[in-house]
Amino acid sequence: MATPPDTLDKVGAGLDALDVPAEAHKPPIWRRFLKTGVPPIIAFALLLGVWQALWASALLPEFQLPAPVDVWNEIVRSVSTGEAFSILWTSLHRAVFGFIAAVLIATPLGLLIAKVRVVRAAIGSLLTGLQSLPSVAWVPAAILWFGVTPSTIYFVVLMGSVPSIANGLVAGIDQIPPLLPRVGRALGAGRLASARHILLPAALPGYLAGLKQGWAFSWRSLMAAEIIATSPQLGTGLGQYLHNGSSLNDINMVIAAIFLILLVGIGIELLLFRPLERAVLRARGLTGAL
Amino acid sequence: MTATLETTVLSTVDTAVELAGVRKVFGHGNSAVVALDGVDLKVKPGEFVCLLGASGCGKSTLLNIVAGLDGATSGELQLNTSRPAVMFQEPALMPWLTAARNVELALRFAGVGRLARKRRALELLKLVRLGDVADKRPHELSGGMRQRVALARALASTTVSPDGAPALLLMDEPFAALDAITRDVLQSELLRVWETTNTAIIFVTHDVREAVRLGQRVVLLSSRPGRVVREWDVTDSKNNTDTVDEINTHLREVISGHAS
Repeated sequence: MATPPDTLDKVGAGLDALDVPAEAHKPPIWRRFLKTGVPPIIAFALLLGVWQALWASALLPEFQLPAPVDVWNEIVRSVSTGEAFSILWTSLHRAVFGFIAAVLIATPLGLLIAKVRVVRAAIGSLLTGLQSLPSVAWVPAAILWFGVTPSTIYFVVLMGSVPSIANGLVAGIDQIPPLLPRVGRALGAGRLASARHILLPAALPGYLAGLKQGWAFSWRSLMAAEIIATSPQLGTGLGQYLHNGSSLNDINMVIAAIFLILLVGIGIELLLFRPLERAVLRARGLTGAL
Repeated sequence: MTATLETTVLSTVDTAVELAGVRKVFGHGNSAVVALDGVDLKVKPGEFVCLLGASGCGKSTLLNIVAGLDGATSGELQLNTSRPAVMFQEPALMPWLTAARNVELALRFAGVGRLARKRRALELLKLVRLGDVADKRPHELSGGMRQRVALARALASTTVSPDGAPALLLMDEPFAALDAITRDVLQSELLRVWETTNTAIIFVTHDVREAVRLGQRVVLLSSRPGRVVREWDVTDSKNNTDTVDEINTHLREVISGHAS
């Protein structure tokens, strides 16, 4: 039964050598592009092809289904006159400000709901319920309360995104393995230190998912608010642009607006949230979905 | 800082841990379960004690009480040590931190400064022979390596005391989830670490051979309620299979007492 200790040391060193994971080598950039970049491009090209074919078949009148090239010309026109940038800026800065405000409100709210039993019992299910309420339903009420002002738009954006972010944080905290805070206590962490060094980092993946969804909700709430609440003093955002297109019976403008709205949504997801989420999950070895 | 790694911790007290008549009851009224019933136990500074018992003997409860994670219903607990460190069956490392950062976290909670933290963490990782993988994250390490990081973290939190109070390490079946070879290696690793750090260890296990191999003293607990049944001094019977057999017989008796 007694093995000499130096033999065991060798066995241990051997185990360690066997257990050290092999360095994963990164495939070259063109191959990664081929894998992740090409399929969506092909899908988009197919969509364009179907659209072009439908238009060519002339099943629908031109004022309902425009030619792809006409929509493209409308986008080129608005970009070349600088109109597109001012429209995008108007909407984007509203969305970003609204989103930041939502994060600042939802984070302490989520912490309260997750950690204080009474608060959870009182408003936990209300918050989940609010998530299923389309935020466009707040527009008429907000117009009556605030008039057609930026306040109305920000109110609708907040009502759309705060529940998602808070719920994401609550879910993130609920899913922390109970052993981790216990270890923290055993190591002598106080409540504050435990929240800062254990609870928040452990809840980060759930929180990030909430942020991502919160952004999507604030963007679409903003569009809904802009389409309904239009007035000269609000300036022209993407929603107003879409609304104007509809009023002018200009289908090119309408479709161009829809493309721009999509573009912003996809762009923020690809440039901001996807890399962030990837970095966080990869650091924890959760690479299954990537 | 480095003094704690040497084997010369002088202490004026001759008990590190003293439990007197510790009783723990879970629940109330008819559904109350007595987990521990009058447990007396003394552990000397630097002593290695193994608590042995079948399921339901309240080993983990006892450990939690000593760790301060749980309170006793009645009885007394006296600790003449620095903050006790606990190791669980799972390594329970923070998955978002590297091995070194995990060890540093324990030091940070103890209020150690940044540079001293870094130095001490690396020192402890080298002690468990993981100096080379200090920058790896838990998911990049094997189960045995993770448990060694957890050991380094536990040592960090208990050997940090500035007044040189003796350290105390509480281990709750820390090797139970490992394969046989890794367990074998880790047991010898633990003995080496224990000899170099002069830490008192209370080690909970249900494996008699493990208890005899590791401990200086083996304490057998009965089940439901947990009481100290018998103790063996096994310092001089490391290779004595008779001792293992004898303790095994007693353990079986304790368990078969519940057959009816």
